[in-house]
Amino acid sequence: MSQEQGTPVVNLTSVGFRYDDGKTVLEDIGLSLYKGDFLGIVGPNGSGKSTLMKVVLGLLTPTTGTVELFGTPLSKFRDWTKVGYVAQQVAHGAGGFPATVREVVASGLVGRVGLFRRLKAEHYAKVEQVIERVGLKVKSDERINKLSGGQLQRVFIARALVADPELLILDEPTVGVDQESIEQFYGLLRSLKEESGMTMMIISHDIGVMSEWVTKVACLNRRIHFHGTAHEFEHNQEDIFKSMYGEGFKLLAHHHQ
Amino acid sequence: MLADWWNYEFLRYTLFSGLLIGLICPILGTFLIVRRLSMMADGLSHVTLSGVAAGMLLGKKFALFAAINPLFFGMVFSVIGSLFIERLRKVYKAYQDLAIPVILSAGLGLFTVLVSVADGFNTDLYSYLFGKIVTVTIEDLLALVGVAAAVLLTVALIYKELFAVSFDEEFARVSGVARKRINLWFMVLVALTIAASMRIVGVLLISALITLPVAASLQIAGSFRQAIWYSIIFAEISVLSGLYIAYMMDWASGGTIVLAAVLILMIVLLGKRVRNLMR
Repeated sequence: MSQEQGTPVVNLTSVGFRYDDGKTVLEDIGLSLYKGDFLGIVGPNGSGKSTLMKVVLGLLTPTTGTVELFGTPLSKFRDWTKVGYVAQQVAHGAGGFPATVREVVASGLVGRVGLFRRLKAEHYAKVEQVIERVGLKVKSDERINKLSGGQLQRVFIARALVADPELLILDEPTVGVDQESIEQFYGLLRSLKEESGMTMMIISHDIGVMSEWVTKVACLNRRIHFHGTAHEFEHNQEDIFKSMYGEGFKLLAHHHQ
Repeated sequence: MLADWWNYEFLRYTLFSGLLIGLICPILGTFLIVRRLSMMADGLSHVTLSGVAAGMLLGKKFALFAAINPLFFGMVFSVIGSLFIERLRKVYKAYQDLAIPVILSAGLGLFTVLVSVADGFNTDLYSYLFGKIVTVTIEDLLALVGVAAAVLLTVALIYKELFAVSFDEEFARVSGVARKRINLWFMVLVALTIAASMRIVGVLLISALITLPVAASLQIAGSFRQAIWYSIIFAEISVLSGLYIAYMMDWASGGTIVLAAVLILMIVLLGKRVRNLMR
């Protein structure tokens, strides 16, 4: 369903990243996402997945190469309301924060509404609508520390969705979430994509689950070892992993099913 | 005895100052605590103290400076200190709380040296340390009114940005929030609040008024807004009861206010415990 024409939503050309201590984490990354794509990026721990995500989000500046969002080089890109972001949950440490579901979701509008402006009735209506969409209506006045891991994750999805992004970026969104919620979570992403044609990019180490849901896969271990459709990925897994890890690698990710 | 508060000008100044402090300290405190920066006020208060000492020293040595309220120097030092903390936080990304002991030690070191250079002060330094009711002047009150106006205006105008940055700095940054400028301005406000509040509460106890009412309110608040409102209520009760008791008993006002805040915290904790047991 993705048509590979027009301007790519995300376009990386020979991107490399090296930390100050000289450690190269990304090398010669070329990646293009078109409208409606659902790209899963897989790779082992330390493969540079999170770094790649930070580069795309402009949180880190690549050492070499260029990143473009919606056809604009990242250095000139200002339209951040088009981009929704869901971080790895453990990174939040938000458990004890004294905020309600509604307050957290509303904070997703901060960029869209703009400095010195207050939220209006239409914004609050949108907040309610998104909370309902992720199935947390009864919880909207609860403090977030009373939620389960899966519910908290949906709060963060809602926060990213409330500003109507065209591109949704998710970093290991299912870490610390139980198996049943993970299925629900991917189901939610898929239906969101079908409703709005949103472009999505997700990082996960959980290859088994993820490859069932995405349309495209990129395998990362410092370099891109495979970039193609989920279908191609399913049929060439052995070769791909041999290329990524070398001979003798045993695929451990099949515990699911 | 209550009528004294209206009849004597200095008591009126004290009362108004106290009410303003009880309003702005917990507001800033709520944002500081949820960002795990509750010790920030402690660090800055010591820097402010060194500024006050510097002001008093200059006033003692040069007649020119004698006319300037030492509080002004305290504010200047405090703002410089807050800018320095923000820098240190960037240098030590992984140990952000390290900035606070660094700045605290620097402030205290400077203070003791300045006091020794001045060979002691005849002005009552004690009141700056622990707060004293009778020392509030109209100048002090006006400074506080200015700072309080800045704090309230800031929160009214950029509440949603402050919330977003406090809750999730990275997300705020990706949303295009001017995170650095907001952080910087916020720290400047904390610095000014500390300097302006020290006459009442005393520099060594000011961080208590920034943290204790919030500690109590976090226990019972159902939302972030509620956390702010409850902390203001607790702070105002502490200030009013503390000032009154301090006046009646001739105690240090700062210490009495802080003890009232501690008492409220204990009551809230106890009340919550009892409620949980009843269920």
